[in-house]
Amino acid sequence: MSEIHSEEIISSNSLNNKNAVPAPQEGLLGGVHKKDGRLMIHTVHLKKSFGSLEVLKDINMDVMEGEVVVIIGPSGSGKSTFLRCLNRLESITSGEVTVDGQNVSDTHININKVRENIGMVFQHFNLFPHMSVIDNIMLAPVELKKMTKDEARAKGMTLLKRVGLDTKADVFPPQLSGGQKQRVAIARALAMNPDIMLFDEPTSALDPEMVGEVLEVMKELARDGMTMCVVTHEIGFAREVASRVVFMDAGYIVEEGAPEEVFGHPKQQRTKDFLDKVL
Amino acid sequence: MGSILQVYWTLLLRSLGQTLLLTLLSLFFAFFIGLLFGLLNVSKNKALNIIGTVYVDGIRGVPLIVLAYFIYFGVPALVQAAGNSSFKLSALVAGTISLSMNAGAYMAEIFRAGIQSVDKGQMEAARSLGLPYGKAMRRVVLPQAIRTMIPAIISQFIISLKDTSILSVIGFPELTKAGNIIVGNTFAALQVWGIIALMYMVVIVTLSRLAKKLERKMNVGNTL
Repeated sequence: MSEIHSEEIISSNSLNNKNAVPAPQEGLLGGVHKKDGRLMIHTVHLKKSFGSLEVLKDINMDVMEGEVVVIIGPSGSGKSTFLRCLNRLESITSGEVTVDGQNVSDTHININKVRENIGMVFQHFNLFPHMSVIDNIMLAPVELKKMTKDEARAKGMTLLKRVGLDTKADVFPPQLSGGQKQRVAIARALAMNPDIMLFDEPTSALDPEMVGEVLEVMKELARDGMTMCVVTHEIGFAREVASRVVFMDAGYIVEEGAPEEVFGHPKQQRTKDFLDKVL
Repeated sequence: MGSILQVYWTLLLRSLGQTLLLTLLSLFFAFFIGLLFGLLNVSKNKALNIIGTVYVDGIRGVPLIVLAYFIYFGVPALVQAAGNSSFKLSALVAGTISLSMNAGAYMAEIFRAGIQSVDKGQMEAARSLGLPYGKAMRRVVLPQAIRTMIPAIISQFIISLKDTSILSVIGFPELTKAGNIIVGNTFAALQVWGIIALMYMVVIVTLSRLAKKLERKMNVGNTL
């Protein structure tokens, strides 16, 4: 209770009233995420096959706490599959995946516990259409006994305020625009207080005029120090927000580095070819 | 026709009540049988799939009348042979079991189709939040599935209601059985079966009208 209360006070930097509050450092999570160099995601020789089709061939990647890793690449390159292996929405064929110290590739661990700590945002939002916006957000914290109903509601309202949708709490998802749906989906994922957020093409299904509002929320989340893995085609977002850009093709990581490196001076021909097409 | 109604109206109404009782009881149990086997059939576990498939195919492969004979005569014979010589099933119990099992197999298919009609992103989103499979199914997938299933459930209700007439063969005192008794007494086959047909029809048409209304109401909630 007290935690929620104090969050409300420190961080009322909602998207709607940016100028009203003189505390520019505080973001979506009230500045609770520190960058202390903790290894959040660690994959070693990760492979994933669908039948005889090998989609991920050998992925080795580390993500440190507070990093924003943007994964780009042509469709079918395995970006989304990689993301989905991190919370084991896809089973892992071989190799090792460790997320926040938990060995996700070990089938004996309680994957539900691990997932509570990994928020995920989907291309098609996947809001629960039979529940109001606030119930969408409250479902997991209440069902998993992380919070009482009142706590979850308060937390949900705080999150909705921060994504600029507190007036939509009792609306049902089909009444929202795409951009609004995705912002609710982000709030829903944040309700479990995850340490990592995965974004699987979060703006690809949006009308162009709604892309900005979703990216704005993501930027604020990044500024606040959230560890993020983002699969996206938004090169502008990658340039501005990414601490690292990873280019994937045909199941491999072809190239990675700081955005100005990868976009400015790509070393691999395949990266150049791809960037020529999208830039 | 007037005189038949005058003499037999209590029997007719009582039998109609029994028909409805048997239908409602059976549909109630069939719902849970269908839920159970529907869930087995959508599970990723092959062994559970096989159990589900065997039940659904097994029951759908046997005519209801044979199933009813089997439950009403066969099962007590088996129990009696096993030593309990006074064991008997009442027609209501045997009828309810038969019809529940039969409708349950069809309901399992309705559940399977309903669950599969829900976008699989719904399950993924629920699981990604840390909800276990069962909770995700109960809170997210099933409520949406059941909405789409309502027309099929209602049509199964109507089928089962008509199928109760088959259970007259084990002596259950439902509407068709009453028709047989009255015709036996009066020889007025045309009038009696005309009345019986009309009674079934009135109930079923009323029910399907109600169902349509309900369905429209649910759909309105869904699209908004």
